[in-house]
Amino acid sequence: MDALQFPERRIESSRGLANAHYVSSDRYYEEREALLFSSWSGAAVASDVPNPGDAAPIDFAGMPLLLLRDHDGDVKVFQNTCRHRGMILVEEKCNLRGTIRCPYHSWCYNLDGSLRATPHVGGPGRNFDENVDRRNLGLFEVRSCVWRDIVFVNISGDAPEFDEYAKVIKDRWKEHEGKPLYAGPGSSSFEFDVACNWKLAVENYCESYHLPWIHPGLNSYSKLEDHYHIEEPGLFSGQGTLVYRQIVGEKGERFPDFDGLSEFWNEGAEYVALYPNVLLAVQRDHAYVLLLLPQGPGRTIERVQIYYPFEPETRPDLAQLMETNGKLWFGVLGEDLFVVEGMQRGRHGVMFDGGKFAPKMDGPNHLFHLWVADRMLARGRRMAAE
Amino acid sequence: MNLDKLNRSVLAAHASGDGVALAQLYQFAGNEFVSAGSIDEGCFFLTQAYVYSLEFGLESAEEIRIALIEHGRER
Repeated sequence: MDALQFPERRIESSRGLANAHYVSSDRYYEEREALLFSSWSGAAVASDVPNPGDAAPIDFAGMPLLLLRDHDGDVKVFQNTCRHRGMILVEEKCNLRGTIRCPYHSWCYNLDGSLRATPHVGGPGRNFDENVDRRNLGLFEVRSCVWRDIVFVNISGDAPEFDEYAKVIKDRWKEHEGKPLYAGPGSSSFEFDVACNWKLAVENYCESYHLPWIHPGLNSYSKLEDHYHIEEPGLFSGQGTLVYRQIVGEKGERFPDFDGLSEFWNEGAEYVALYPNVLLAVQRDHAYVLLLLPQGPGRTIERVQIYYPFEPETRPDLAQLMETNGKLWFGVLGEDLFVVEGMQRGRHGVMFDGGKFAPKMDGPNHLFHLWVADRMLARGRRMAAE
Repeated sequence: MNLDKLNRSVLAAHASGDGVALAQLYQFAGNEFVSAGSIDEGCFFLTQAYVYSLEFGLESAEEIRIALIEHGRER
């Protein structure tokens, strides 16, 4: 690892991360470990498994995970791999009425991950073997925590406690903290399959510099000067607006606000990239999460879920507005796709030097680059020590 | 026990993914063989029944487990 490829502390003299961080397969796997697996990363949303027994396979940066809600209603994440021959256990969303049965040799696991049955393991009709100790062969559980419906995972198992990791963002948004979030229906959930490195989507999200050019529709009322930087080194960065406008339906209907918000949120809204891969929006009347699910150095799934302060089925009068709102965000977030894909292609230009930051406008972006650099340097030190 | 008919029923249940039927069919076959003194064959089928009973959360799982334990095939 060449430290000279990394950005400098001073944005004025700093270049961005070198091309290799976006196009190299080797670097992708190094970053997967250093940035994604060793942090608290967003892998799914808990509303994917609303009922006890619901299970969903997740591909998290190539790591097969199994998201499930146990019979007590708790969300758990396991490696989706049988302890016998490494077969994938669950291939598609389902409701588990009983145990998890491996489709290969039918080893069965309880929803707490413990190995329940090993059929024919000692020969036909003989279901135990002295050398197969079920007590030591449960599924590998992945450290996980649910916050704002986001299922965060720490694959390495050694990140600081989640509450420590999330303390600053929770404090920042304390007026929103703990308020019920209800996943919207229909158009409230969508995905983009994007030909870019996941980091480019972070970088684009956390700066407002591009808004007048890429989102001219927003710019008609939300001008560049109405935005401010959000900069929390090592944790998150993003942008806020002071002129948020609620969506209004054809009959004048609006979404109700989250309870107990101060006046600031009447026209304030914030859009934050929580490192590494969780993009958040917090507004008075709805919120969303955009999870960046890396598929390789040059491909990312962007998974979006919009949330409301009310149970959607209790407000049929707002069904159309929710549908319209989902489509609106699909359009706005879709406007960014050509940019992140263009930056990805641009990074195959061998003379590109990481780019020159605009010091007054790219602060949040620069902070993310520094976070990447610090994590990669720490990884290098760990490997050198080993 | 009509083995041909049982085979056809088992194959049909596998084809349609009917785990409850599989558990019942295998348990029936297992009990029949055990009753006839064919413990090995019986425990093979009871094991099959046990797996599907577990997978589909059927109450029969516990009685099958006990039967397998009695024959020294499960712990």
